[in-house]
Amino acid sequence: MTEQIDKALAREYEAGFVSDVESETFAPGLDEDVIRRISAMKGEPEWMLEWRLSAFREWLEMEEPDWALVDYPKVDFQAISYYSAPKSMKDKPKSLDEVDPELLRTYEKLGIPLIEQQMLAGIAVDAVFDSVSVVTTFREKLEEAGVIFCPISEAIHKHPDLVKKYIGSVVPKKDNYYAALNCAVFTDGSFVYIPKGTRCPMELSTYFRINEQNTGQFERTLIIADEGSHVSYLEGCTAPQRDENQLHAAVVELVAMDNAEIKYSTVQNWYPGDENGKGGIYNFVTKRGICHTSAKISWTQVETGSSVTWKYPSCILKGDNSVGEFYSVALTRGRQQADTGTKMIHLGKNTKSTIITKGISAGRSNNSYRGLVRMNPGAHGARNFTQCDSLLIGDQCGAHTFPYVESRNPSAIIEHEATTSKVSDEQMFLCRQRGLDPEKAVSMIVNGFCKEVFKELPMEFAVEAGKLLEISLEGSVG
Amino acid sequence: MSEWLDSAIARAQGIDDWLAPKRAHALDLLAKTSWPTRKTEAWRYTPLRPVERSTAKAITDTVTLLPTAIADFSAIELVFANGRFDASQLESNLPEGLSVSLGRDLTEAEQSAALGVFSTIKPERHIFGLVNDALAEDVLVVSVAEGVQIDQPIRISSLLSEGAESHTRVQVNLAAGSSLTVIEDVQSHGDSLLTAFVEYQVAANAILEHYRFALQTGNNIAIGGSHFNLLDHAKMHSTIVGFGSDLSRLDTDIIHAGKYADAKLNAMYLLDGKELFDLHATVEHASPNGTTEENVRCIVADRARAVFNGRIHIHPDAQKTLAELNNRNLLLSDKAEINTKPELEIYADDVKCAHGATVAQIDKQALYYLQTRGVSRARAQVMLNFGFINELIDLMPNAALAEWVRPMIRERFLQMEVN
Repeated sequence: MTEQIDKALAREYEAGFVSDVESETFAPGLDEDVIRRISAMKGEPEWMLEWRLSAFREWLEMEEPDWALVDYPKVDFQAISYYSAPKSMKDKPKSLDEVDPELLRTYEKLGIPLIEQQMLAGIAVDAVFDSVSVVTTFREKLEEAGVIFCPISEAIHKHPDLVKKYIGSVVPKKDNYYAALNCAVFTDGSFVYIPKGTRCPMELSTYFRINEQNTGQFERTLIIADEGSHVSYLEGCTAPQRDENQLHAAVVELVAMDNAEIKYSTVQNWYPGDENGKGGIYNFVTKRGICHTSAKISWTQVETGSSVTWKYPSCILKGDNSVGEFYSVALTRGRQQADTGTKMIHLGKNTKSTIITKGISAGRSNNSYRGLVRMNPGAHGARNFTQCDSLLIGDQCGAHTFPYVESRNPSAIIEHEATTSKVSDEQMFLCRQRGLDPEKAVSMIVNGFCKEVFKELPMEFAVEAGKLLEISLEGSVG
Repeated sequence: MSEWLDSAIARAQGIDDWLAPKRAHALDLLAKTSWPTRKTEAWRYTPLRPVERSTAKAITDTVTLLPTAIADFSAIELVFANGRFDASQLESNLPEGLSVSLGRDLTEAEQSAALGVFSTIKPERHIFGLVNDALAEDVLVVSVAEGVQIDQPIRISSLLSEGAESHTRVQVNLAAGSSLTVIEDVQSHGDSLLTAFVEYQVAANAILEHYRFALQTGNNIAIGGSHFNLLDHAKMHSTIVGFGSDLSRLDTDIIHAGKYADAKLNAMYLLDGKELFDLHATVEHASPNGTTEENVRCIVADRARAVFNGRIHIHPDAQKTLAELNNRNLLLSDKAEINTKPELEIYADDVKCAHGATVAQIDKQALYYLQTRGVSRARAQVMLNFGFINELIDLMPNAALAEWVRPMIRERFLQMEVN
């Protein structure tokens, strides 16, 4: 019986595979066939396909969540193409002259090297880059340390046991609507494994994988830090990225084994849409990590892009003495809407979590913090501290806070604080008095407001993030 | 759908009186509302099983129930016995400028004025608010004339005998520049079910002092709401003291409809056994220059569960608003549970808003300190618990009421099973 099914499946594979291998992009639409074709394109093993299909079946039964404070035209999932091969050289801009000058100005302000500017703008970078590539050197160094850092599609082939064991273990297939969709149709993403007792010799960044970056709109990342290891991972970059996909539904899973530490930093600056919010990216991301005994996961995010953000990087503090941290700066302007925050689920004894968020709303945007701190009955001596501050710039924006605090253990201590205010007249006056123009003054005040979070970012990232905020705030003052 | 709701709807369809258009509207909305489940945000932590299981029935026989006496305190008594207004307990010589009458006895003009503000303060009402709209028959209207200060407090008592289901509803109108003190008191016995809603219209420069005591315990169900509409420069000071029961739910809604309004809310609840108390406090700042200060404290012992939802919503025009919410909770037992959600929703920039929430147990050092002074551990617990709540009792403007409540709270702490 199973044999027959296998045969049937294999037949469909062949058809799908052959007919599509030449075309660059699948026709819009989503059904089991599309998933089989994606899987076939990647030459995936049977178990992976089965996993995708079961996620897809779950997804069909699920409903799109509507509890977030965001308002956007619903996504037509049948109008999306779920696979597009990397663009061929001839479709890409030939040189920076063909790129939107506005984009170039931003790159310049951010101080991005020319070669990276070309990459970010999606210019056909040829062998020149690869030959000077730092990537190769980095790879060698990582291999020496025993660190695996590769596209997840490659990991499925080369390290199936690890992938099989951990994929979907932190974010289950039917965790939520977008996560289930991601499970079914993800095209690529990163895979990281840090062996026992190893400190990853360098910060891992998606930058290094820039030549394989066409991971598409359904990215999937899996990071496993084995016992006693340490890794710092940087995602995204400050530069506005060109992207044709409107919907992004990524899943990131982190596994920190006993005594391991994962630091995950994100800077997200996708296209926020025009002044009416048209055409911006929908960023519906599920990020979650699990901490075993005495492990630590630290999420740091700087969110300035996308028209709609729905994102709650979370920690499950399963092991005793484990630590979860969430540091976030979310800036919205124009018509942007962000509903972002975190969940800290305390299961183990003496677990600790810290949440520091800074929301800045300008223009006609809406910025919400939504978070959950839960102390389960076993969380003896657990501790949480949460601080959510919001800053309003302009009288047409909104800043909101929705913290859920649930405690079932009397020895656990939870503290939550939130404040909302505008840039104070006194602060402005002081800065103006010292000769700063209003724009510079606001940017300085905002930078100070975000300092607690920026100091958690790796240094060069922090500098860039500061500049990014300054640029994003341009024109928001006065 | 629940059987209870079906029966409530069926009963409401038989009522025909001056409130007919409002009842019809409520029934319309009920038809479109589904029975709350764990996925319904407003009932996320408050399961409605007790309502589904309740055997309480509407009691038609007239009975006389007396409100508890309070030492050194005399009030104008408005008594509802099993949902029926007991006019015999109302004193005949009301102070000048104060009127109390059943809605059905009002003149047509007065009725239409009362209808105009009926159920308008909180537009999105939950299912039990709608049931109350549809089923409360003896709707009482209390009015204070312009500029009149009523010194004697009025007490609205909702009294229930064992096994009774009842729905009480009062409208309180304070005209411009007037002042009034209102005590809402609930006393029920045994397996009973009550919905009790009071709507307050506080006109310009009027001052309202408000208390709600929900001190019934046991296997009864009490769902209620106090809704306040504040116009320019209106002031209110509200104190809520609650013990839990099988299901106690209270919705406090304060609307700053006029500018420069000022609201203070101090709420405390103390839960024991398997009790549940759910307080939803919403403040809407719809006009500029308003101020709000909320203090909510809660102590939960044994297997009890406390729910708090404190929402502050600043509308786009409400510039120069100052709003603060402070929520502190003590958990006394391993099986007790606290779910709290302070929310801020802000659409105006020139405002100062803050909220804070803490959940913890009694400070071990304080406990140790008292023990080193020879105070037994159990007694030290009671002292510290009491101190935590006493700070809010001290803020009650009416000393007689504070003295009445204090020993009851002390008694409750002594009973609380402390691990």
